[in-house]
Amino acid sequence: MALTAETLDQLQGEPGWLRERRQNALAAYETLQLPSKTDEEWRRTDVSRFNAAEYSKLEHLDGLKLERPSGLPAGVILKPLREAAKDHPDLVEPRLFSLVHADRDRFAALHAAFFTGGTFLYVPDGVEFDQPVLGQHFSHAGGNSVLPHTLIVAGRGARFNYLDEYIAEDDTEAGYRSGSTEIFVGEGSQVGYVAVQKWGRNVWHFADQRAELQKDSNLRLFNVTLGGKFSKTRVEASLAGEGSNAELKAIYFASGEQFFDFHTLQDHRVGNTRSDLLFKGALQDVARTVYAGLIKIEKHAARSDAYQANRNLVLSDKAKATSIPMLEIDNNDVRCTHGATVGPVDPEHLFYLRSRGIPETTAKRMLIQGFFGDVLDRIPFEHARKLVEAELEARIG
Amino acid sequence: MATVPKIEVGADYKEKYGFFVPEEYVFKAKRGLNPDIVTEISWMKQEPEWMAKMRLRSLEIFRKKPMPKWGADLSVIDFENIFYYLKASDKQSKTWEELPPDIKATYDRLGVPEAERKFLAGVSAQYESEVVYHSLQESLTKKGVIFTDTDSALRDHPELFKEYFGTVIPPADNKFAALNTAVWSGGSFIYVPKGVHVEIPLQAYFRINAENMGQFERTLIICDEGSFVHYIEGCTAPIYTTDSLHSAVVEIIVKKNARCRYTTIQNWSTNVFNLVTKRAMAYADATMEWVDGNLGSQITMKYPSVYLMEPGAKGDVLSVAFAGKGQHQDAGGKMIHVAPNTTSTITSKSISKAGGRTSYRGHIKIYPGANNCKSFVKCDALLLDDESRSDTYPYNDVDAENVTLGHEATVSKVSDEQLFYLMSRGIPRAEAETMIVNGFIEPFTKELPLEYAVELNRLIQLEMEGSVG
Repeated sequence: MALTAETLDQLQGEPGWLRERRQNALAAYETLQLPSKTDEEWRRTDVSRFNAAEYSKLEHLDGLKLERPSGLPAGVILKPLREAAKDHPDLVEPRLFSLVHADRDRFAALHAAFFTGGTFLYVPDGVEFDQPVLGQHFSHAGGNSVLPHTLIVAGRGARFNYLDEYIAEDDTEAGYRSGSTEIFVGEGSQVGYVAVQKWGRNVWHFADQRAELQKDSNLRLFNVTLGGKFSKTRVEASLAGEGSNAELKAIYFASGEQFFDFHTLQDHRVGNTRSDLLFKGALQDVARTVYAGLIKIEKHAARSDAYQANRNLVLSDKAKATSIPMLEIDNNDVRCTHGATVGPVDPEHLFYLRSRGIPETTAKRMLIQGFFGDVLDRIPFEHARKLVEAELEARIG
Repeated sequence: MATVPKIEVGADYKEKYGFFVPEEYVFKAKRGLNPDIVTEISWMKQEPEWMAKMRLRSLEIFRKKPMPKWGADLSVIDFENIFYYLKASDKQSKTWEELPPDIKATYDRLGVPEAERKFLAGVSAQYESEVVYHSLQESLTKKGVIFTDTDSALRDHPELFKEYFGTVIPPADNKFAALNTAVWSGGSFIYVPKGVHVEIPLQAYFRINAENMGQFERTLIICDEGSFVHYIEGCTAPIYTTDSLHSAVVEIIVKKNARCRYTTIQNWSTNVFNLVTKRAMAYADATMEWVDGNLGSQITMKYPSVYLMEPGAKGDVLSVAFAGKGQHQDAGGKMIHVAPNTTSTITSKSISKAGGRTSYRGHIKIYPGANNCKSFVKCDALLLDDESRSDTYPYNDVDAENVTLGHEATVSKVSDEQLFYLMSRGIPRAEAETMIVNGFIEPFTKELPLEYAVELNRLIQLEMEGSVG
């Protein structure tokens, strides 16, 4: 058994255009090569042992639990993505996989061909609401594929928050997981988006989170990566309108034999745009992480301001963090700064706390909490902040 | 000053530093690259058999290795249209007076004799592919310091030569190191014995002066235990209409407790492809410093590196790149931590103007077992107009325990506040900008000997003339 055209037959009742799109993605998957070690993006990321055919059973639809905020304003559309594709083709068809391209690589193609579940959220012009939308994606068993896709469209001046939570019922399950998101941030809108990935510790996870920002819009995106034996996440923001502002933050905590790979892009396509990226992670045991990020300032994107930082706290002798922050700047009237650090807990900080009678393990825990503290404060809404704090607490122990 | 008709001198290089001396060559190999030419070069130099074999083997490697797919676009280099060996004069001169007049005329324009009179210990000025003028202060010879051109070193110190040649950068290291090993000619050879401090910088001036001539000098520096040497390499070349290739290899061995500083001011004319491999091995408690300035050439790809082989070794790269119209400076540094308790820093400053492009490309690699290492990289880029471009590509691989690694980079333009401040004090805009740019690269210039600092400031001033910020 493999993931083939026959697998697509499991997905009934979809409109023709979606079926066609899946078939095209599948065709792309079959022609694309597995990335090789000579490909810069995959040089440190080994996918040779990933075999999609092992997970040809698709778990779908019922894997999603949507929590509708009470008193959702009129005109807001919130429903499972496959249902929305049927009911609102005018809104879904032009946008689906227009930011996260199906032919980018084998994994993006596989996701686009077989995605199930996931959410469609449409907030019309001028609509605001405070209570966050919560999308929970469950995997109930191992050995299968769970590939949810989220599509968010914010109209002009809309303001709202959204949380995607990827949850495994069994932490030891093996399988193939993805969790991709496309966010259309309309003119003057304000969107808060948080993704918390807590899949089981033995799964393969691939995700593409990409947003496009229109004039004067504001995105606060927060990624939390905790699960998977292998997790590759691309977080990308395309600043397409003047005055737009993207805040991209992430925390990760890798332990055991986990491998996390992050790839980020801050693409300043027009001037007067701002992006601020901070990825902070702690590594334990023999875990490994790779961060590679790019700030791209295109030719006419004058008066852009971009910041990019990756900080890694290495808690064990055997853990390994790789950090590659990159810049490509094509305009002079800009301000770009980036930085990366990899290092253990500062022995002087530890000494200070211990000299005040705090036991070493407590002192270390305090320092780790302090390390994550400033970035936790940037989680855009209370519900998600509490959730992430609790998850971290459990891991720092 | 004699000139040759039909030479098109591009840009405004000619008025600034372009000058030209007619070719009078004793021997000129044919264009192109094949085993016959390589054998002929070796035969002309009356080299021992092992070197001839090594050259041929390297040629094979060069042919097999693909062109690098990263960095600058090198596809325009036509390896079959290059002279791989030229010898400008048969005999080596001992004093300035003995030099052939046209070669002298070239050096007069460069100011080599003045520099020598002032402070230099020895000048080994390379004209074409062979060292033709070479002087070494007597005191150095007494101390046992060898400072000669690499061809003479192979002849006069065969055992020392064979022990170290190609050990730091083997021919198979990369395509251009293989090319250099196949056709190398000239360069400097320095040996500093145990405990000897060479107080005065040693210097060689390199020049390219024939159309379509590749220059493949080979430098080998050995600092024995507890010694110190500062070597200065400076380049400037007249302009020609077709592309020239410069592909040097510099190998340095810094033994226990020794310190070596290697300063480069590269100012090739803007049609030169400058593809250089520079690497040093630093042993216990040794210090290796690369001070690397890249102003000229069309394309430069150069990443001076230090292999930190034993505990306590320290590596330092200080790099400045200036890219004007049509130029791409792809420069940076590499620090390879092989042993524990080693430290390294890379500081890179780059300036792009008039559509020029500067790229920082660096690699910090910390091998398993190289615990307790510290490495810090700082890159600052200044963009002088909105046509120019700057990139930063730092690669960091940490495989060891308790390692502290930091990377910082900023990209900005000449700040309006600084400009306003200076102009409000009556300084014209162009001058104010030049001052700001000179201030920006100050961490670099202050590491240079005075003469070079002055020369660099003057070059920046020339480059900045007529630029609009």
